[in-house]
Amino acid sequence: MSDVATLPPVHSAAPDDNARLPRKSPWRLLSRPFALLPASFLLLVLVCAVGAPWIAPHDPFTPAIRHRLEAPGATYWLGTDDLGRDMLSRLIFGARTALLASFESVGIGLAAGVSLGLLAGYVGGWLDRVAMRLADVMQSIPAVLLALALIGVLGKGLGNAMLAVGLIFAVSFLRITRAVVLAEREQLYVDAARVLGLRPAAIMLRQILPNVSGPLIVQASISLGTALLIEAMLSFLGVGADSTQVSWGSMLETARQFQSEQPLLPVVPGLAITLTVLSFNLLGDTLRDALLPGGASQTRTAVRLPAGTAATAAADADAPTPADTLLELRQLSVRAAVGGGEAELLSQVSLHLRRGEVLGLVGESGCGKSMTANAILGLLPRGAQIAGGSVRLGGTELVGLPEEALRHIRGRRIGMVFQDPNAALSPVHTIGTQLCDIVRAHSKLNHAQALARAVELLDLVGVPDPARRLQDYPHQFSGGMAQRVVIAGALACEPELLIADEPTTALDVTIQAQVLDLLADLRQRLGMSVLLITHDLGVVADLCDRVAVMYAGQIVETGSVQETLTAPRHPYTAALLDAMPRGRADARLSTIAGRVPPAWAWPHGCRFHPRCAHAVAACAQQPVALEDGVRCIRADELRNARTPIDIREVAA
Amino acid sequence: MRQLFLSRLLSVAPILFAVSLFTFLLTRMTATDPVVQILGPGASAADRAEYAHKLGLDRPLVEQFFRWLGDALRGDLGSSLYTALPVAPTLADGVSVTLTLAIAGMLLALLIGIPLGIWGAVRHGSWADRLLSTIVSLGLAVPSIWLALLLSLAFAVELQWFQVVGYTPFAQDPLEWARGLVLPAIALSVHTASVIARQMRSAMIDVLRSPYVHALRARGLPQRLIISRYAIRNAMVPVLSVMAIQMSVLVGASIAVERIFAIPALGTLLVDSVVRGDFPVLQGAVVVIATIVLAVNLATDIGYGLINPKVRAN
Repeated sequence: MSDVATLPPVHSAAPDDNARLPRKSPWRLLSRPFALLPASFLLLVLVCAVGAPWIAPHDPFTPAIRHRLEAPGATYWLGTDDLGRDMLSRLIFGARTALLASFESVGIGLAAGVSLGLLAGYVGGWLDRVAMRLADVMQSIPAVLLALALIGVLGKGLGNAMLAVGLIFAVSFLRITRAVVLAEREQLYVDAARVLGLRPAAIMLRQILPNVSGPLIVQASISLGTALLIEAMLSFLGVGADSTQVSWGSMLETARQFQSEQPLLPVVPGLAITLTVLSFNLLGDTLRDALLPGGASQTRTAVRLPAGTAATAAADADAPTPADTLLELRQLSVRAAVGGGEAELLSQVSLHLRRGEVLGLVGESGCGKSMTANAILGLLPRGAQIAGGSVRLGGTELVGLPEEALRHIRGRRIGMVFQDPNAALSPVHTIGTQLCDIVRAHSKLNHAQALARAVELLDLVGVPDPARRLQDYPHQFSGGMAQRVVIAGALACEPELLIADEPTTALDVTIQAQVLDLLADLRQRLGMSVLLITHDLGVVADLCDRVAVMYAGQIVETGSVQETLTAPRHPYTAALLDAMPRGRADARLSTIAGRVPPAWAWPHGCRFHPRCAHAVAACAQQPVALEDGVRCIRADELRNARTPIDIREVAA
Repeated sequence: MRQLFLSRLLSVAPILFAVSLFTFLLTRMTATDPVVQILGPGASAADRAEYAHKLGLDRPLVEQFFRWLGDALRGDLGSSLYTALPVAPTLADGVSVTLTLAIAGMLLALLIGIPLGIWGAVRHGSWADRLLSTIVSLGLAVPSIWLALLLSLAFAVELQWFQVVGYTPFAQDPLEWARGLVLPAIALSVHTASVIARQMRSAMIDVLRSPYVHALRARGLPQRLIISRYAIRNAMVPVLSVMAIQMSVLVGASIAVERIFAIPALGTLLVDSVVRGDFPVLQGAVVVIATIVLAVNLATDIGYGLINPKVRAN
């Protein structure tokens, strides 16, 4: 996917406004009803805590033995406890203890953790080592146990209990702060600030705190719930809240003693604790979505879709395909749900591949090359689906084929090679297991036979000492060797078609040539057709017979490699060629201004026109059809204006 | 693998030393004098001095600490200030019961949490997954003491399927022992099962989106095989570290849950010693539990090595 290695450097052109997803703001969560529920419950708890003396209908402390263990009724809405005290009033006063305990411990944790984390991260050295060792020590003692120990030393009472809990929370706050400080310390702007003469303390506060506040707020919100659970447990054990305070935990202790007489006793305090903790947690989840990168809200954002996405005229002339065509894509369109709307990821992609032929599919990243490969295999990402068109492999229509039938085509008739070989192998399984599973998925071979086949395959792709290497894990292979293993996996069932998706991008330059040679050699020996996805026109010149150029989900030019690379007809192809380093060292590299727009913001008219040096007003008017292998209304005009390129310069 | 084990073992030693020093200093910082606690405020100064001498409290702090540490390494954690019984065997009894409960809770939590997490990940985004997420949120919020109360009320008091209180040692009657563990283990497991289910779900979702799962699909492997052989094992790696933390949480929670089922274990021992200021017991308990937690962490690291070959190699 990230095929940027040899792509033209991107100008910092002003990004399209409608190509940008809205900025994350904490206020947006107010617009979500699901976030409002826990927030309003917590507000209710807060109101109870602050206004307890005025809200509570009875005195929560004075015993009234006559009314002991009464069931809920008109006077006592939630009944009474063993001393005849009103449960509702005790519940309301309990909110005080709950919030006090939660905020005290999280406050202590934040104060201690953040300051220590700032110091440890910024000063580093022995201070950092001592702080981290201390964190290890604190984490090796269960929170309740440490609280009990501190209470044993400092005396009973909620304050001491929550001090202990706060110290334990400090560990996670310390780790978060330290990690952010360590990362930010390396950042240029901290150095810059140092040069400007700001004192270190000022640097820390001004630069680092804003960065660390998001993760801290999320962690604090979740810690509030944990604190309440621990407070309840300690008060239940009789070492937390004392007799001048009402705690939901000590109400549970009363319930334990008298629940056989009044089974309703445990219900109310337990519910209060559960709902409050649940609200803290849900609030934490919502804050995480809203404040942290990778949160779920990113995908929920509604994106305005331009009206013209589907308006590509169906005028693309489908050239008749040769008789020995193995793979044929006709008008293949893929759509995906994006935010509130839909985006067209592929628009009427047509291409064909003859038996024994190598077709190069080129374009910048984000143009839909990998999407095309995935659409052929029927492995589209979540939410994306084929909206029209056909994919035929040797006479079999693949679009609409049942999953089980498709599964037998994947791996058996179509082999796939991926960009990053180490990511394409399971890190915790041996190469032998992985190859055997591929072989056995499509054959009736037993384990021993499959192993023998795996050795054969590794030998075929040039992995030395294949029998021994079967027991090795992917991390024990170099990048080039790992890619050979991935190729072996693709060849396991002698496929007719090999799709290689940027097979050399992730490899060292010296290894790239070896892998390309291997692919060329295998194609000859096995007589496969190859669809080679790449952004490197040099690779295309070396390996391919024909080429298809993709831009923004469309094929913009197709033709033989010789013709297309020496006399490109589409300005995009020409721009890609101009951006390639070629033989002469003195030649100035040109770049393509701007970047490929995201799928929900394909421009109207010719999709390349905003970046095209030759664009005229007419280019933005109508969608352009693919005619005679090129999608450009000025193709004929421009052809005469361009000097032909020597293909030997392109081939590396 | 052996090297990994040894290096981990070596890194544990300084932490244990620090925990011992920390708890030792903590108990000595206290304002209450153990001698006054035992002899009462009316005791004569001479009696107090004699008793302090007998306990070794008149020695320099450093000497006291190293004497305690030396004894502790030989398995002698001193004697209770109240019962005068040696701390080590008393603790051993309590800790073994508490650990049994925690382990039972953990096993149950794994049994529930891992399949639920897998289930949610495979049906990611469906109504079933949303239902599961809601249940998991609830499970994270429910206090285990409340669950224990409700369980004992429903199944022990009302239905009388289980005994309400008490603990039968394994040696006495293995069947009764197992029956006695059921309700406390359920009460303990709900929170941990929720944590594990959530972790397993998100780890599985990440794995199912990973390039190698995509690659396995592109190779035509059946979905069942991809999940059972590849995804679960890869997803277990992050779940392991959660398990280590949860073991410590379970020991803490079991201290309170024991009380509800009147199981004589670490909880009773600890609360009693906290209330009475029985420092040798408290100190011993913290060190012993910390040792166990660190041992669990060590076991987790070894588990990492078993699951993840990369760790093994480093």
